[in-house]
Amino acid sequence: MVTDFVRMAESSQIIAASSSDDGFGGFGLVFLLSGFIFYAVIYVRYRNVDKRHNHESETESAMFNMQEANDFVASKSGLTNSKIDGANNDVVRGARRKFF
Amino acid sequence: MPMDNVEPDAHQQASPQNTPDVFRTDEGAQDGLAKCARCGATEISLNVATGNLRCGFCRFEWATENAIEAFNLNGDISGLTGILVGSGSSDIVPSTEEILTFKCSACGAEVVIDTNNSTQARCHWCRNTLSMNQQVANGAVPDMILPFRVEKSTAVEKIASFVGKRKFFAHPKFRAEFNAENVMGVYLPYMVVDINAHARLTGEGEHQTRSYTVKVGDKEQQRYDADVYNVVREFDIQVNDLTVESSSDRLDQNTSQNSNNIINTIMPFDVENSVRYDSNYLAGFTSERRDSNLDQLSPIAHTQAGDITRHRVNDSLTFYDRGVRWTAEEVDVRGQRWVSAYLPVWLYSYQQRNSSGKSFLHYVAVNARTGETMGSIPLNQSKLLLVAGAVQLVGTVIGLVLVVVGF
Repeated sequence: MVTDFVRMAESSQIIAASSSDDGFGGFGLVFLLSGFIFYAVIYVRYRNVDKRHNHESETESAMFNMQEANDFVASKSGLTNSKIDGANNDVVRGARRKFF
Repeated sequence: MPMDNVEPDAHQQASPQNTPDVFRTDEGAQDGLAKCARCGATEISLNVATGNLRCGFCRFEWATENAIEAFNLNGDISGLTGILVGSGSSDIVPSTEEILTFKCSACGAEVVIDTNNSTQARCHWCRNTLSMNQQVANGAVPDMILPFRVEKSTAVEKIASFVGKRKFFAHPKFRAEFNAENVMGVYLPYMVVDINAHARLTGEGEHQTRSYTVKVGDKEQQRYDADVYNVVREFDIQVNDLTVESSSDRLDQNTSQNSNNIINTIMPFDVENSVRYDSNYLAGFTSERRDSNLDQLSPIAHTQAGDITRHRVNDSLTFYDRGVRWTAEEVDVRGQRWVSAYLPVWLYSYQQRNSSGKSFLHYVAVNARTGETMGSIPLNQSKLLLVAGAVQLVGTVIGLVLVVVGF
């Protein structure tokens, strides 16, 4: 039970940090959603619906004969997002687990 | 299947076509009485502590040949072309019987084996154990088997510990009925795939050059500068022992309908330690028959190979700290090798029935090689909602105060 609350607190801190980064409401928002966050944390901890075999990292593989090209295109300034739009280099499409 | 630089054997070279080349994995296998070489008894089972088969009468132990060496599966993956398939992975013929009848060679009685759950049965007249080791086209006899290594007592401890940490919000009926001793040893069917592919990924990557804050109105906001690059990566990739469930039931991992994702989570297995199939490894355990063919499993394996490729190439993209957006991904599978395997799982299952009559099967599973444990515990929803409601009430008061004071 104690660890559940610790996990919830950790999640809350992450949300608090991200929400203040984006300038939406700040720390108070986390408390306004605390019941929902608590429910989600406990549900996932007991049912483990988010768990799956990480085949993309847990399967042995090796690359050979690598050829690389990195061609400069342009510089951009004043971007509001910390990540490139549409980043998909970490996307996983072969997971069997589905939520609905 | 180890990734060394051993030259592939001539027979491992499949024709580069879509028709699979089949290599036999049940040569010399015999159905009927499998006897102890020392005393002739048929009471043979796995000694989990040593990984050997052991005679129940004279305690003589022996090891079965490693499947990877026996079928020469440790050849260089880069030499793979076309589709190579173990005979135990061949397509299932729908008309093949699942209930097979054997004549007991000790007494002549007819003995029935239900291949849905096992490939062994005891003769009801002479009490000898009959084994089925030759492959028939119903998916019951795989190419190889990975014996149990985790003892039942260890699995019971792991399951009890896993559940013990999740009792407060567990359903009261589950708490009352839970008994870790009811765990079952099950061999589940999988396909193990080696893939030799050539990949070309094209896209755009961004490298951050500056991070700073600007004032917008009376608030400060973060801004970034970045350099944009066209990125191309072209390489050969070898995927070793990609493991895919080959039972249609286990492939369905919709978490609102079942908890099969739990069994998926305890992968991977050390499949390189698999041995040639011998039904005696099943004694004392149950098994689930493979019911999916290459046609159904190939798209899954190829999509997962694409994921592995995308993930692997990230090693060469560390400069692009803002990420990469791939616009074209070509993964050309040049060669693939499929073998079917029974892999060992300790499984605790609990059927939860709700008031509307619907049922949901929860699993707590232990990888019987690595000991990795995962589970799904039925929740006491009313208790959880009550506590979540109380947390919400307190949180709302604190939240409103913080919002008012502008924190």
